[in-house]
Amino acid sequence: MSLETPLDLLKLNLDEQVYVKLRGARSLVGTLQAFDSHCNIVLSDAIETIYELDDEGDLQSVERNSEMIFVRGDTVTLITTPDEE
Amino acid sequence: MSFFGFDPSGPKSKERNNDGGNKPLDFDDTYGGLGDYEQEEGDYLNAETFGADVELGNDFDFGHSESNQSGASATIQQPSHVHRSYVAAASQGVSSSNPAQLDTSIDLKPMESLWTAGEQEYQQEQQPQQPQVMSMEDIERQQRQMQMAAAAHQQAPSQQGFMQMPPPPHNFPMQGLPPQQPYQQDQPNSQFVNQYPPHMIPPPAMQGHPNQFQQMPPMFNHHQSQIPNPNQHYPQMYPTPPPNFQEHHGQQQQPQLPLQPPQPPQQGNGYSASPQTLPQPQLAHQQVSPPTTTQIQTELQPPAGVSRSILASPQSVASPRTESNVTSASPQPLQQEQQEHYQVRSPEQQLPVRNIQKQMQQRREPLTPEEQKRLQVRHAKVEKIMKHSGVMTPRDKDFITRYQLSQIVTDDPYNEDFYFQVYKIIQRGGIVGGESNKGSIARAYLEHSGHRLGGRYKRADIALQRMQSQVEKAVTVAKERPQKNKDNVEKITGREGVLGKISSAMNSKAPRRQLLIPSHKASRISNEDELQSLLLASSASPSTSSLDGTDEHNNSHQPVDAASLANVPALEDVTQHLGNVEISQNSKSRRRSSYAFTSVDQNSVLSRSGGRKFVLSLIETVYREVLELEANLRSGKEINNTLLWEALHVDDDIYEVCPFISMLTFDKGVKIMPRIFNFLDKKQKLKLLQTFFSELSHLNIIIISSYKTNPTPTDNQLKKIDLFQTVFLKIIVSFLSNNSNFIEIMGLLLHLIKNNNVSFISTSKIGLNLITVLISRAALIRQDSNRSNGLSSPEISAWNEIYDKLFTALESKLASVFPPQEYLDKVLKVMDEQQQQHLPHYNSGNSPSNVQFYDQSYIWQFLASLALSGKLNHQRIIIDEVREEIFGTINAAEELLNSNEIDKANATYRREKLYQDLNLFLNVMGLVSRDGEISELK
Repeated sequence: MSLETPLDLLKLNLDEQVYVKLRGARSLVGTLQAFDSHCNIVLSDAIETIYELDDEGDLQSVERNSEMIFVRGDTVTLITTPDEE
Repeated sequence: MSFFGFDPSGPKSKERNNDGGNKPLDFDDTYGGLGDYEQEEGDYLNAETFGADVELGNDFDFGHSESNQSGASATIQQPSHVHRSYVAAASQGVSSSNPAQLDTSIDLKPMESLWTAGEQEYQQEQQPQQPQVMSMEDIERQQRQMQMAAAAHQQAPSQQGFMQMPPPPHNFPMQGLPPQQPYQQDQPNSQFVNQYPPHMIPPPAMQGHPNQFQQMPPMFNHHQSQIPNPNQHYPQMYPTPPPNFQEHHGQQQQPQLPLQPPQPPQQGNGYSASPQTLPQPQLAHQQVSPPTTTQIQTELQPPAGVSRSILASPQSVASPRTESNVTSASPQPLQQEQQEHYQVRSPEQQLPVRNIQKQMQQRREPLTPEEQKRLQVRHAKVEKIMKHSGVMTPRDKDFITRYQLSQIVTDDPYNEDFYFQVYKIIQRGGIVGGESNKGSIARAYLEHSGHRLGGRYKRADIALQRMQSQVEKAVTVAKERPQKNKDNVEKITGREGVLGKISSAMNSKAPRRQLLIPSHKASRISNEDELQSLLLASSASPSTSSLDGTDEHNNSHQPVDAASLANVPALEDVTQHLGNVEISQNSKSRRRSSYAFTSVDQNSVLSRSGGRKFVLSLIETVYREVLELEANLRSGKEINNTLLWEALHVDDDIYEVCPFISMLTFDKGVKIMPRIFNFLDKKQKLKLLQTFFSELSHLNIIIISSYKTNPTPTDNQLKKIDLFQTVFLKIIVSFLSNNSNFIEIMGLLLHLIKNNNVSFISTSKIGLNLITVLISRAALIRQDSNRSNGLSSPEISAWNEIYDKLFTALESKLASVFPPQEYLDKVLKVMDEQQQQHLPHYNSGNSPSNVQFYDQSYIWQFLASLALSGKLNHQRIIIDEVREEIFGTINAAEELLNSNEIDKANATYRREKLYQDLNLFLNVMGLVSRDGEISELK
């Protein structure tokens, strides 16, 4: 299989866990189910982490689980493999 | 009633239109209205009121000609009927055109038209019966198919006879037969009674003389045909007695007819026709609305004399003639009459009727009392049959059939049979307690069968189940083996040198084909020597590809297996085969790395097989190839798996770890395996499995599932293990049990032993399962071929060799196949968490039945199959090593007895499970453990 475009690399990670960084201080870790040229992606068993600063300026994070989630491509800033457990 | 409706074209149709909204007048709608209208009672009086010369054939609500009626019925009834009516109409068109004749008759004979009107009214009255007429048709078809219909409709004939009951006097002359005499006598009475107090008598008469009635119909029909029987016109007869009178006269003239020779057949005809065409509907009708029908019947009966011609039908024209014909009574015309008569009533039925008539004719002619009896019996039988007919749809039947067939076809009928499973569980069990009993049986069953939805771990370990059943089967066979044999194994082998080979199997069943001169020890030594020499040779010439070697080997061994020829070449083949494994091992020092724990780090494995990216892209390629092949398969194109095989890199030596093994690191790589296997031929599959077993130590799943390398498994990893077990183990098991022979299994085992650290692999669940699969399958084959002498002695000695190697690798480490308690606790904790995550509401109550426990049955299965293939001293060693575990298990089981009340059901179940697993192993050695003690198996 030839790797010609950046998205071909993404293809290799189909059905694998990926880490997706999103705009708005959010990130997702989930199994990559599908993607397209706009970087719209579908993740399964995804954990979404939302970061925010509380009143004292400390970083807080909230997690949300979703069985299946569609992410619009224009919010995606980065896709990579997750840190090893 | 009829009065408003009489101007049918006007108000009626308008109403319809209004009802139906703005739709244009629809033919069906109008007729639907007719249907409603028809159901009113007393419509038949309309004719008297209004006169009958209404235009026939128009779309009046009543006053339809016969053809219209049929048309109306067609619209009212189901499409199927409509269809049929077309056919019938076509056929009728050939024979006669009713409407035309009808019209002419009406025009020409005003007086008759009065009757016709009456007839029409009557028909209107009858229209509610039309559905029944339809059903009659259905019945006719059934009858034709079953040929038994006549009996089934005996009831019908009687009623029919009653309804159409001709004036009894006619019967007199016609019937010379004794059984009919009672009828003749009774009939007059009933008839008279019927005529005057119409409603009262008919039912008793029917009940009282069923037989007579049965016989009657023919006569009756005969009358009808001969003298157009105006039963239906009778209502009109009241107002005009004279015609009736005349008719009676005419009928009395008819008695002449019976005397004529041709009559018998005619009677048959009449009978057959009447029961089949008419009876059923009328019967039904009666049931639905008894008063009306009886009324009609009674009213109808007296006027029987009215000429048939009055009917609005082709016959009406012919009727005058008919009467004369009747008197002259030539059979042929009569028949025609009859047929026409039926045509009139329901043209569609004409053809079937004719056929049936013929059938009936043949059958009916004798009609002795005996036959009647028989008919009744038959009828009863048919009733019985019909009672449940149609309960199952064809699809249901199909399902049942398929299910039964699948039970026959299945490889594993016992394990797939629910009832057997339950039986086994009950048998096995002292499962006690009333209420909990069912629960524990169900749970035990789910556990045992690996139910798709359940099982304790929500796992679908079908493959594992199969393997377990395989082990169990082997154990059972071993159990059945006479105890003596086992004890005497040593002695027998000792005696062998003296007496030649003594087969422990029945000689009568499997006679020895050839004198064997066994020098057991010697052959073993020489075998080893040969192995050694081959090893040397192989290391000297490492270029020999293992694939070639195995291929050669396979080819040469097929006949050996088939013919079970124990000869020296076969031995050489085996040893050569064994040697080839060594070649591949020795020639590639890199394989050595698998002995060490260098594969624990997944990334290092990946990097040694080309890197993660490379492996992932290989998987993508494989997917693409498989998809392509599947597309070809669907479109029927030729299938060429070369590209797929290349993509798999199974025999790729370039990388330290075979890329194929690395592919299995990824879930998607595992998931595609079954689809890959669909396109590989046997050689390729074997090669693939050889590679697989050779590099087992590199396999990520082994690392993950071993408590040594992965003491703290995560949820994800447990899922991976499950996935691998369900997908890949299934492939292996099915390959081993369907496609492989003894040699190949030995070869795979040898690959496993030579290239891997067996004791390490045995610490992983997957690894242990894989070993179990191999040795239990080999044991099964050996047991099978023990009976058929299927294995040559070299094969057996080679097997012993391999087994010894395996055993040596495991010896002194057998206890380590049991994971330590901490590992079990961790796994349970993870599983609990997982379950709580998925079923928070379910488990929140800390309900005891959901307490998890680690299923160790796979370990006992492994030990069982290991002991099964071993000799007595092997078994001793095994027991020695795992003695702690045995007693530990027994203690655990006994402790469960003391658990608190809430846990009772679950504890009982677990206790059973523990004993069940333990006994699987103990049974192999003729032992059984119950209630904390170990005793000998009886």
